Amino acid sequence: MQALQERIRTTHLPLRIRAGGTKDFYGQSLAGDILDVSAHRGIVSYEPGELVITAKCGTPLAEIETLLDEHGQMLGFEPPRFGAASSLGGTLACGFSGPRRPYSGSARDFVLGMEILDGTGQHLKFGGRVIKNVAGYDASRLMTGALGTLGVLVQASLKVLPKPQSELTLQFEMDEATALKHMNEWAGRPLPLSASAWQSGVLFLRLSGANNAVREAHAKLGGEPHLHGTEFWRLLRDHEAAFFSGDLPLWRLSLPACTPPLDLDGKQLITWGGAERWLKTNAAATEIRPRLAASGGHATLFAVGEKSVGVFHPLPAALMKYHARLKKLFDPRGILNRGRLYPDF
Amino acid sequence: MQTRLADFIRDTDDGREADRILRTCVHCGFCLATCPTYQILGDELDSPRGRIYLMKQLFEGASITHKTLKHLDRCLTCRNCETTCPSGVEYGKLIDLGRKHAERKAARPLSEQIKRRALAKFLPQENLFGGALKLGRMVKPFLPQTLAGKVPANPSHPDKGELGGISPSARHPRKMLVLAGCVQPALAPQINVAAARVLDAIGISLIEADNAGCCGAVSFHLNFQEEGLDAMRRNIDAWWPHIEAGAEAIVMTASGCGVTVKEYGHQLRHDTRYAEKAAKISALTCDMSEVLLNEEAALRGWLSGRGALEGKRVCFHAPCTLQHGQKITGVVEALLTVAGHTVLPISEPHLCCGSAGTYSLLESEISTQLRDRKLGHLSAAQPEVITSANIGCLTHLQSGTGIPVRHWIELL
Amino acid sequence: MISPDIIRRLQAILPPHCLLIAQEDVKPFETDGLTAFHSTPDVVALPETEDQVKAIIALCRETQTPIVFRGAGTGVSGGALPVDGAVLLAMTKFNRILSIDPLARIARVQPGVRNLAISEAAAPFSLYYAPDPSSQIACTIGGNVAENSGGVHCLKYGLTVHNILSVRVLTIDGEELVIGSEALDAPGYDLLALLTGSEGMLAVTLEISVKLLPKPERTQVVLAAFDEVEKGGAAVGAIISGGVLPAGLEMMDKLAIEAAEAYSHAGYPLDAEAILLVEVDGTQEEVSEDVMRVREILLASGATDIRTAKDEAEQKKFWAGRKAAFPAVGRLAPDYYCMDGTIPRKALPAVLKRMAELSTEYALPVANVFHAGDGNLHPLILYDANQPGEWEKAERFGADILEMCVAHGGSITGEHGVGIEKISQMCVQFGNAELQAFHGIKACFDPDGLLNPGKAVPTLHRCAEYGAMHVRSGNLPFPELPRF
Repeated sequence: MQALQERIRTTHLPLRIRAGGTKDFYGQSLAGDILDVSAHRGIVSYEPGELVITAKCGTPLAEIETLLDEHGQMLGFEPPRFGAASSLGGTLACGFSGPRRPYSGSARDFVLGMEILDGTGQHLKFGGRVIKNVAGYDASRLMTGALGTLGVLVQASLKVLPKPQSELTLQFEMDEATALKHMNEWAGRPLPLSASAWQSGVLFLRLSGANNAVREAHAKLGGEPHLHGTEFWRLLRDHEAAFFSGDLPLWRLSLPACTPPLDLDGKQLITWGGAERWLKTNAAATEIRPRLAASGGHATLFAVGEKSVGVFHPLPAALMKYHARLKKLFDPRGILNRGRLYPDF
Repeated sequence: MQTRLADFIRDTDDGREADRILRTCVHCGFCLATCPTYQILGDELDSPRGRIYLMKQLFEGASITHKTLKHLDRCLTCRNCETTCPSGVEYGKLIDLGRKHAERKAARPLSEQIKRRALAKFLPQENLFGGALKLGRMVKPFLPQTLAGKVPANPSHPDKGELGGISPSARHPRKMLVLAGCVQPALAPQINVAAARVLDAIGISLIEADNAGCCGAVSFHLNFQEEGLDAMRRNIDAWWPHIEAGAEAIVMTASGCGVTVKEYGHQLRHDTRYAEKAAKISALTCDMSEVLLNEEAALRGWLSGRGALEGKRVCFHAPCTLQHGQKITGVVEALLTVAGHTVLPISEPHLCCGSAGTYSLLESEISTQLRDRKLGHLSAAQPEVITSANIGCLTHLQSGTGIPVRHWIELL
Repeated sequence: MISPDIIRRLQAILPPHCLLIAQEDVKPFETDGLTAFHSTPDVVALPETEDQVKAIIALCRETQTPIVFRGAGTGVSGGALPVDGAVLLAMTKFNRILSIDPLARIARVQPGVRNLAISEAAAPFSLYYAPDPSSQIACTIGGNVAENSGGVHCLKYGLTVHNILSVRVLTIDGEELVIGSEALDAPGYDLLALLTGSEGMLAVTLEISVKLLPKPERTQVVLAAFDEVEKGGAAVGAIISGGVLPAGLEMMDKLAIEAAEAYSHAGYPLDAEAILLVEVDGTQEEVSEDVMRVREILLASGATDIRTAKDEAEQKKFWAGRKAAFPAVGRLAPDYYCMDGTIPRKALPAVLKRMAELSTEYALPVANVFHAGDGNLHPLILYDANQPGEWEKAERFGADILEMCVAHGGSITGEHGVGIEKISQMCVQFGNAELQAFHGIKACFDPDGLLNPGKAVPTLHRCAEYGAMHVRSGNLPFPELPRF
């Protein structure tokens, strides 16, 4: 830790924060010398009865999830891993959440506390290790998804959830519009849903809960059980499913779940009950972004493709003003992950 | 809450009572949620907690103006806040004290004084009110709309009413007194006839005492509190011989009167001559629904013997004086159901209809908004008949809808 | 004191019934749900339109006049306490539900809408808004956003921050920002999280989109009585590590039971030292399984009496008592002081034991209401404000409790916010650097410090003073700061 602080304090050049390096593909641009945080690892405390785990940010996700699993618990936001080395810090910095997100919550929803090193190397501790804590501004959640531009994440406390007794994946043949309608209608009913996706005429639905509850919900909904449900969702979560391969740019579209099918060139995969849609396309950003903005959503050029179009959806000027001020506050010299989120950031 | 009452009141009966009530309030604000005027105006000064604070200032000796009085006047005295209050603040009693002392400290504009004086003189006197009502009905077509709306149409004539006939004679050994009231005999004489017939059918005769009249609420709540107390004493004197002769109860067919008579004991507690009698009278007072609840077996017997009634889809608007004042909930609905009607659920059943005694005449804008809000909820259920349990609510609601509005007892 | 010129200009913005100036009219706004603190406002604005709000903000910015926001005034940390020379801006007239979209499960509401009114309006669609602070009948959603309010169902359903999608706010610069979106995320920093719980210090909320959840098919409440508080605490841990995630998990001690029972007649066992209320929800089958497991665990944990609510009416009664427990304590003493510390649950026995000792030391009774599932304690210190010195004693007792929570790895506030009340304890929970960061965040949005000044984040000087009063084991906090 001292070494990291020293490095930040003394550098005159931008630093690029990196642990496992599995998400190097993500973000606007990679600038500066690597600040390797992978050695800052280990689980600090874990009390299953408290539903809280605290770990240093270089800890691989796999290590955390293995430990939780031994106690029948899990990370509620089902984070993706883009390689065995994916770390807790990288996941939180990107704010990535997996298929369970619309039903259980996002990465930031589970963050209880965060320790960071700001752009001057100062060690700051926000939030805490208890489930409820509203003292001070919620800087821990502000750090989640900030792509390391406001600080180097060094330690985080997360709320965890008990694992469901059983899970079952169902498949239904239906077109996109019908699938969207069902995903939203069912989400408004008391069903033990934990994931949903649609691709190429098939709706996939995951049920999680007590054995009886899953069985009864299956009886209510019908659908064909998927024989390899667990693997199906893992491949989808980690972008190992066939949909994600190929050289076309991959766009992540985030939009209100009820938005009708988007008429955009390329192939689409719908996740998050309709609120997240993946698009493999050559279509121009100037075609995609206005369409999303019109639906109240935004588009991210997630992987592959020419980044000069802007990886992240541009912000309105008024909002950008407050972003710039926050960046200046936490990283006055602008050295942390500069340019990763927006140019000049 | 901390209190520091001023010298002028601290060591008086009123002061001790006000201090006791104020100190139970913890200022949590729950009462804002169910206060009708706050729902409409969104100003805390028109909420129970705001009024409590205004009264606290008054009792602590701050100088006040007619504005405090105005906020106190705007209170419907529906006492919904008492039902909501977890700390048990006796708001109804506090606002009586508040109004009394606020009026002493801050004069009302003259025009309002005259209006209130006239109402207090006029409404409680059955003959005066009845005569004027006839006159009002004759000239109604020529009145401006705001006033015309306040003149109720002729009730179905008792002789031709659904139940037909007139009050049965006092033939049973079991007897109960009934209060005729002030405006009800003129506006809706059929209500007490219906009550008498139902009770007669289950073996109880209903009698009226000569000389009993207005329960005192009209004057009392217009802040002519002494006149109100006189009316109470007069009624006690009128009822007392009948009580001694064995009348079991004093039956109220208007819940507004009921809540008042049930508080005679409290209002006259410092009157050495009347305190004991008043307490006894209050203890014997029952709403019509309570009487029938106590006589459930006889009622069921009579209803089954009478054969099936044509069941109607009805809504019941529980008057504030019934549900919040007397804390009687669900009884009338149950009785209507037992009698074969379908009682439809409504939204915001706790909220006042805006009638509130003379309120509809003095604060007509708020009153009309509340009436229309209430009628919106009532008519959403698409009832054939709207029922209620207080003469004020009945006429007030009827003034805004084409759906018949009746006292529930008429449907039994 | 606010200048007559500003009053005149406010009069030009607002009609007479929306502007309170006379002492008689403004005095009732001198305090919120925390009556121990009061300060008569100079002027109270009750705007009816967004244009009026904008004009007031512009006027205040131009004249450097501070603004304190107020909703229903049910907060219990003094967040809406008026500040000298400020405009008290009450948003209560913005009480309309703008739209409910049952398919999208979103309600758009104005900030003055009552928390419970949202669930009532969503009920015909079998949806509801999950956070349910005890004051939900009266508190406004705008206030909930400002305080990041919780409730009895936080363990499973989260706080306000987990249940709102976007807010439209107005900054002191007069800029209207839409923060968050009706999608599940928005580009850029998570300003929604930053604004939620910011206690009216960063911006004023004009509109809120909240997430609605499907009403569970079934809920069931199990009430368990214990002859020792510690056993109840241990049962909570056992339920959670047993794999059940209850919707609500509440504990009350003897004094709280007594008060709540007097108001609600819920049928709480009056001879118990503590009761636990365990609510499980979900589908029919889930609930049946969970109730069985919960009962087994409670039995094994030494519960002396276990009751399952026989119908919805009884469930409502069980909860009614709990929800009204705070004000119901008003029946036991003229005043109470409600604390809001959180602790890791395992620390409960130690904390309760020490609290009982403190209660004896201070000679003030304390009733305990406890969101046991998420470690959120609500000790209610009973006192009599009319007795000289009692409030000061209660305040010191409260401070001791909060600082004990921090010492056990907890927090000084779980859901009520810091406001004015816990501002000194912020010095105990956070170091100099973090407090400076908070002041920095404030300055990003409100460089002149006009919005709700003096709340939520203490000045470093204040902390130095407070530290001087609290020298412990010879170590001064903030030794780098000059002492006074």
